[in-house]
Amino acid sequence: MEQRKLTRRQMLRVLVAGSGAAALAACGAQAPATGPAPTTAPGGGEAQAPTTAPATAAPTVVSQTGSTVNITYWGSFSGGLGEAEQAMVQRFNEAQNEVKVEYQFQGSYEETAQKFTAALQANVIPDVILLSDVWWFGFYVAGAIAELDGLAQQAAVDFADYEPVLLNEGVRQGKHFWIPFARSTPLFYYNKQLWAEAGLPDRAPETWAEFSEWAPKLVVKEGDKLTRAAFLHPNGASYIAWLFQGVTWQHGGQYSLPDFTMTMTDANTVRAAQFYQDTARKLGWATLVQELNKDFIGGVGAAMLASTGGLAGITRDAPFKVGVGFLPRETSFGCCTGGAGLAIPSGTPDEKKLAAMKYIAFATNPEQAGIWSRSTGYMPVRISTKQSPEMQAFFTENPNFKTAVEQLPLTRAQDAARVFVRNGDQIIGKGLERIIVNGEAPATVFADVNQELSTAAAPILEDLKAVEG
Amino acid sequence: MASLQKPARPISPRERREWLLFILLLGPNLLLFTIFTYWPLLYNVYLSFVRWNFLRPQKPFVWFDNYRSVFSSALFWEIVLNTLTFTVWSVGLTLVLGLALALLLNQPLRQRNAARAVLFSPVVMSGAVVAVVWSYIFDPRYGLIDQLLGLLGLNSPNWLGSTAWAMPAVIIVYVWKNLGYAVVIYLAGLQGIPRELYDAALVDGAGPWARFRHVTLPGLSPVAFFLSVTSILATFQAFDIIKVLTDGGPVNATTTLIFYLYELGFVTYDAGKAGVIAVVLFVIMLVLTLIQLRYLERRVSYG
Repeated sequence: MEQRKLTRRQMLRVLVAGSGAAALAACGAQAPATGPAPTTAPGGGEAQAPTTAPATAAPTVVSQTGSTVNITYWGSFSGGLGEAEQAMVQRFNEAQNEVKVEYQFQGSYEETAQKFTAALQANVIPDVILLSDVWWFGFYVAGAIAELDGLAQQAAVDFADYEPVLLNEGVRQGKHFWIPFARSTPLFYYNKQLWAEAGLPDRAPETWAEFSEWAPKLVVKEGDKLTRAAFLHPNGASYIAWLFQGVTWQHGGQYSLPDFTMTMTDANTVRAAQFYQDTARKLGWATLVQELNKDFIGGVGAAMLASTGGLAGITRDAPFKVGVGFLPRETSFGCCTGGAGLAIPSGTPDEKKLAAMKYIAFATNPEQAGIWSRSTGYMPVRISTKQSPEMQAFFTENPNFKTAVEQLPLTRAQDAARVFVRNGDQIIGKGLERIIVNGEAPATVFADVNQELSTAAAPILEDLKAVEG
Repeated sequence: MASLQKPARPISPRERREWLLFILLLGPNLLLFTIFTYWPLLYNVYLSFVRWNFLRPQKPFVWFDNYRSVFSSALFWEIVLNTLTFTVWSVGLTLVLGLALALLLNQPLRQRNAARAVLFSPVVMSGAVVAVVWSYIFDPRYGLIDQLLGLLGLNSPNWLGSTAWAMPAVIIVYVWKNLGYAVVIYLAGLQGIPRELYDAALVDGAGPWARFRHVTLPGLSPVAFFLSVTSILATFQAFDIIKVLTDGGPVNATTTLIFYLYELGFVTYDAGKAGVIAVVLFVIMLVLTLIQLRYLERRVSYG
């Protein structure tokens, strides 16, 4: 009895230490049971990587059956876009037998980047990866994605036929790292039915001033409650900072200079934010929603700025006719590019790198780029695609798609603050939420944002100097 | 572990066998704990002292820089306040509503078991699914709550779109999902109170309120204590509902410590500051666990 009691007390002591630690571990350890939260392991990437990576990663060994090279492709598309993506992979696998691609869905752009980070720690990496406009650069400065020029040459990729505005975004010091694939621009979407009911001309407004005149006719109110807005803003998580990028340019402002000097406190940038705030508060015809596309389709608002990448889906799902147009002007026109491109991890073995490049070459060849564009709404990334008879016929049938392509030459790459500063997109997005949702003064909020962006940019600049000199 | 190796008396073969068995039984668990709990725990403490973005090969040691920058930011304290608000309201409502429902379900009602099952069902649902469903219920334009308030002639607040209402929304969903657990534990506690005590109280002329006040409540106190500690620990770890329902927003209105940890670690990729938050959470939970253990030990010695 004596002995047992002693053991038990000691056991308890061990348990004290154990349960304390377990309490912490539980933050992460319990998460997988509840769904999409395995990324919370507090131990950091190293601790987390082994627990999440094996479930999604491909076999690391070079598994060659005959002369076929098997490669893994990590992507972020689900729903209709995911089906188009799967179809692309299937066409590639059926068209040749040197390379076999396995497509693995990894969640949103953010989740894909998170998993890639974890995969790099665990050394279990994919061979081709889809990275969004705000993520590829971080992996570039970390040396995690490979330079593609030599491979492109071997795979006979003709860079001259790619849309230069899109291709050049993925070029650093004359070398290609990020090949445009699912590239988009914002468009002005409007609900044709509500437009007609309000007696408006069937086109997008040319200027924000014009839209401010139209908006009151589109609004429906019950008392002081806005039951239908003229215009919808997304929240920070749905990339309001991307859609607002063009609006700042239209007002003569910008997020930052190319040398990473932040310009959020620039009078014109603040003026653009003041306009966004007024739409929701002083003018009262816009509202910020959690699910932009869903609420537009549901008729919660009559218009929005949204990605071309949603065009096919929105056109299909909306119970009304959808119109699109160029972004409205203010003092000037301004519209940025966006979306995702393909990259190859540096750590991928050489024979797989070439196989991966062959897939990238296929997915962005003039014919496939056309199929992808027609089934999704993303830009055709090849110049020759636009001129192809299939594409021309498609434009005639679907003039909305043509609008997006016509706007493309007027677009430019985004400011460094959003795409090169880690989390810059969310820093700006949260600032805009404070301005629109809380009604805080734009100048005050953007002063904070400016400070936060500058702090976040410092380590990137350091890394960049190390990589590019 | 060191204390295990020095018993007061010389070791007899019998004791040696018992020790061997003890270590044999403990070993596998201890090994797993070491690999998956203790090592990550220590490694996390190390991370809180370095500057690292998960990608760079080098991790410069920065001493207390991460701690300084976390503790000096207004956002951190705002998030601590959010966490307290969330915890106090969630735990408070769970304990009070749970007790009320448990008392109700302890009555000889018809369909009592069916009612208990219904009440418990949210506990076993996936938090992500619950959050998606509630995001529809909260919609200020076509949501169920808007419809119900409309019957009373009231406008629905913009639950998930306003910094004032987002936290109440998260608390409502969280309490709704976890209430069933508290009810089940309370019910077990109620059934553990000896009938004789009620009989004795009746004989002494105690009314329903006096019986509740002097018999039920004291009888339930250990259960309530257990529930409060486990609920506090659980709310500190609540992530799924927040992630899906509000994503920590709008602005930072529903960002709690655990969500901030996720954001710093896996959105901002700042392993050092995320490590600091993890250490803060660890200390809070360790203290809570020690309090609970102390209390339980005392209970055991009284028993």
